[in-house]
Amino acid sequence: MNDFITLATSGAHIPLLPIVWFAIIGIELALYILLDGGNLGIGILSLLPQKEDNRSLMLHVVGPIWDANETWLLVAAGSLFGAFPAVYAIGLNALFVPAIVIAVGIILRAGSFAFFEFSEMKSLWTKVFGVGSLLVAIGHGLLFGGLLSGIKIVDGHFGGGAFDFLTPFTLLFTIGLFFAYVVLGYSALIGKIDYALQVETFPRILGASVVTFLALLTATFVLPNMSYIFMTAWTAAPTSYLLYLIAGAIFMTSVILGYNAIAKKNPEQMHFFAMLIFVLGYAGMVVGLFPYIVPPAVTIFDVASPDSTLKFMLYGIGPILPIVFAYNWYLHKVFGSNFAHNKEGEGY
Amino acid sequence: MDLVLMLSRIQFGATAAFHIIFPMMSIGLALYLFVMECMWLKTGKQEYYQQLRFWLKIFTLSFAIGVASGIPMAFQFGMSWAAFSNAAGSFFGNIIGFETTIAFTLETASLGIMIFGWKYVSRTVHLIANGLTFFAATLSAFWIIAANSWMQIPEGTHMDLVTGKIIVDNYWQAIFNSGTMTSYLHTLLAAVTATLFLVAGVSAWAILRENKTREKVQFFINSIKYAIVVALIAAPVQVIFGDILGVIVAKHQPAKFAAMELHYDTNAQGQGAPWSLFALPNKDNNGTSFAWPSIPNALSIVTTKTMTGEVKGLNDFATNEKPTAIESALTYYSSRIMILIGFAMVAIALVALYYWRRGKLEVDTIENHKGFLRFFVWMIPLGFIAVEMGWMAREIGRQPYMIYHNLTIAQSLSSNLNAGIIIFLIVAIVAIYIALFSLLVHFIRRITEKGPDFNATI
Ligand code: HDD
Ligand code: HEM
Ligand code: HEM
Repeated sequence: MNDFITLATSGAHIPLLPIVWFAIIGIELALYILLDGGNLGIGILSLLPQKEDNRSLMLHVVGPIWDANETWLLVAAGSLFGAFPAVYAIGLNALFVPAIVIAVGIILRAGSFAFFEFSEMKSLWTKVFGVGSLLVAIGHGLLFGGLLSGIKIVDGHFGGGAFDFLTPFTLLFTIGLFFAYVVLGYSALIGKIDYALQVETFPRILGASVVTFLALLTATFVLPNMSYIFMTAWTAAPTSYLLYLIAGAIFMTSVILGYNAIAKKNPEQMHFFAMLIFVLGYAGMVVGLFPYIVPPAVTIFDVASPDSTLKFMLYGIGPILPIVFAYNWYLHKVFGSNFAHNKEGEGY
Repeated sequence: MDLVLMLSRIQFGATAAFHIIFPMMSIGLALYLFVMECMWLKTGKQEYYQQLRFWLKIFTLSFAIGVASGIPMAFQFGMSWAAFSNAAGSFFGNIIGFETTIAFTLETASLGIMIFGWKYVSRTVHLIANGLTFFAATLSAFWIIAANSWMQIPEGTHMDLVTGKIIVDNYWQAIFNSGTMTSYLHTLLAAVTATLFLVAGVSAWAILRENKTREKVQFFINSIKYAIVVALIAAPVQVIFGDILGVIVAKHQPAKFAAMELHYDTNAQGQGAPWSLFALPNKDNNGTSFAWPSIPNALSIVTTKTMTGEVKGLNDFATNEKPTAIESALTYYSSRIMILIGFAMVAIALVALYYWRRGKLEVDTIENHKGFLRFFVWMIPLGFIAVEMGWMAREIGRQPYMIYHNLTIAQSLSSNLNAGIIIFLIVAIVAIYIALFSLLVHFIRRITEKGPDFNATI
């Protein structure tokens, strides 16, 4: 494999393998946020007042897939640990508190699924499921928000305090991500159960979308004022063009989605459009970040593992990933909508 | 010692000690389930199908808690041991990456089908999912043991003194280092034996309950018998692998080995090193204040397979290359308890076989052997205690190193940690774990009380 690509203009060498791994981890993480984000949204929704039956149905829909979805977090984390160890190390060192929030949330959620099935106090476990999902969603916001806000590094170690991650940007980002998950959750449910029939559903989706949009938009403007590197990176070509393109696409998709929501049309497509906006927003984030991985100072080239490791990992993981995609797709197919509609004798 | 370092060690030790219970259960039960499903499809007998359905419920519980407790484990490498993760990530992180991508993804997907797929996939697909679940569980154990084993015996890599990073020279050697395969097999056997004692104990408990039918008693007697058959093979093999593992430790981590034996003075030439069952280090940590019963030459025999082979004592290691007095004592007692349990398991399996052969384990006779059943109920935690003890010996005995002879734990710690937050985390995690564990016990009791559903159709 050719380890370098040569820039036509300058003739400078850019190492290829770190970029490959940045892309792989980016995809793994995107899959995680997309798949588990919907599950988390469903969990948050279960906390809203409604019939207990609905809640049980929500657990039933998420039950067979949440674990496989969540595993993408571990896959992304494992790849990050191997390919960019310093990011895993310094990142989690600095984001100790958000990591705890996520871990506790995941524990509650896993516990709720396990015990719900065998318990007579079903409503207790649907609540634990909701609270767990809520914590994970907030934890994500704090973790990624904290990372984007920048981490203070002194002599190659984390040099800041335990609560440095709490910036205005982080708060906005957390709110935005939280409501984005809610939208994803709604749209995932609409395809599966008769949630669409409820009167309050559409206004709620609309409300959540608007909050997401405003929070993330504000966050996007706050960020460059916090770390100067974004200001320069975002205004330079080709990054700036890409960002405009993505912003335009997000706008168009939002308009379509908004129209459908108001006109109560095509609920099946809703999930697709919501996911599309999510992916576009995520892509914008990745493009805006590249080549930085721990702003404001560390690029992927600074912290990548030696090429020997990146290659070995690529040989080990590269061929496996398509297979993993395949059986995850199979899993989602088996437990798609017909599973959701069949409430009898589902297992155990 | 630095407070934050001590707290971080307690935090890691506590979470690891809790987590390991569930992978052990999952591996053991996955094997049990796979065998049952194969037997069912081969013979078509309902009996195996019911075994499969019943123990699958318990498996589901243990798996979920394994996941719940595994996530904090993975995060902790970065949270608490950032300097280690940064230095060793190019190998260690790579292996963890293999574990998550290759093993966990397979395990969670196939398990989803195994639990929920009864009505949605064919029997063959279900069997494949069952087999893959077992395979993936052993695979994930392989990668994690390889990673841990490399920390114990870091072959195939070197520490770059300029950058302070681990550089891999030979992947094969690093992954299959001198300890990996023996540790791995010893661990798999531990999973199987520990789980079989759990299966037998839970079944014995079910038979002791008041509300039961003949059918139900027969079902649980069968479970006990399956467990006994496999334990009769696994338990002795386990002892043999433990012995081989001990010799490997003596060769590659002699200071740990000396601590496991509380062996202070290297035996003089021509004299055998003794072996003891109870001992305490003295205040100066240069000898034992008492050791009983001191069996002459036994340590030399076990370690070198000769009467008077040399076994290096703790006094011959520099203070900063061996565990402290307390750590040595912990290492010693945990390995003693594990070894005792190892032999006890062999003995118990033999006694059970005797009962079985004498026709005492039948639906009509079992009522007269309540003592036997009660004994098995008490033995439920036995294997898991051995597992905890084995890991304590392994992890505490390697102190003060994180990566043997390459990096100490003091050098591995994250920077700017906050003791208050760690204490909060420990308290919260321990509380949550106690709750999870109590709930698990509660639900296992409830599921067992209800017993298998004999009317279940496929
Ligand atoms: C059911 C559980 C169980 C049983 C009955 C035994 N072991 Fe064990 N042992 C383990 C479960 C275990 C373990 C938890 O799985 C360990 C911890 C790390 C490892 O690889 O296996 C372990 C580690 C371990 C080590 C430490 C390896 C190291 O530090 O690198 C030694 C020397 C032995 N064992 C030796 C024995 C002997 C001589 C036994 C019997 C007489 C024995 N074990 C029974
Ligand atoms: C699951 C079974 C395990 C148990 C019960 C266990 C137990 C422990 C204990 C008791 C400690 C604290 C030792 C001390 O401070 O003196 C510890 C430390 C540690 N273990 Fe394990 N361990 C297990 C598996 C592993 C594995 C598989 C790995 C790596 C892949 C690992 C990596 C570590 C690390 C990084 C530390 C912290 C540094 C140290 O104290 O040396 N452990 N473990
Ligand atoms: C001490 C270091 C360890 C870490 C960081 C760790 C990490 C994890 C994580 C993150 C999970 C959840 C995976 C999921 O979502 O399915 C998990 C589960 C699991 N771990 Fe560990 N683990 C450790 C120790 C061990 C050991 C020593 C073993 C093997 C004997 C092991 C075997 C497993 C297995 C088989 C599972 C699957 C879940 C289950 O079967 O309960 N782990 N572990």
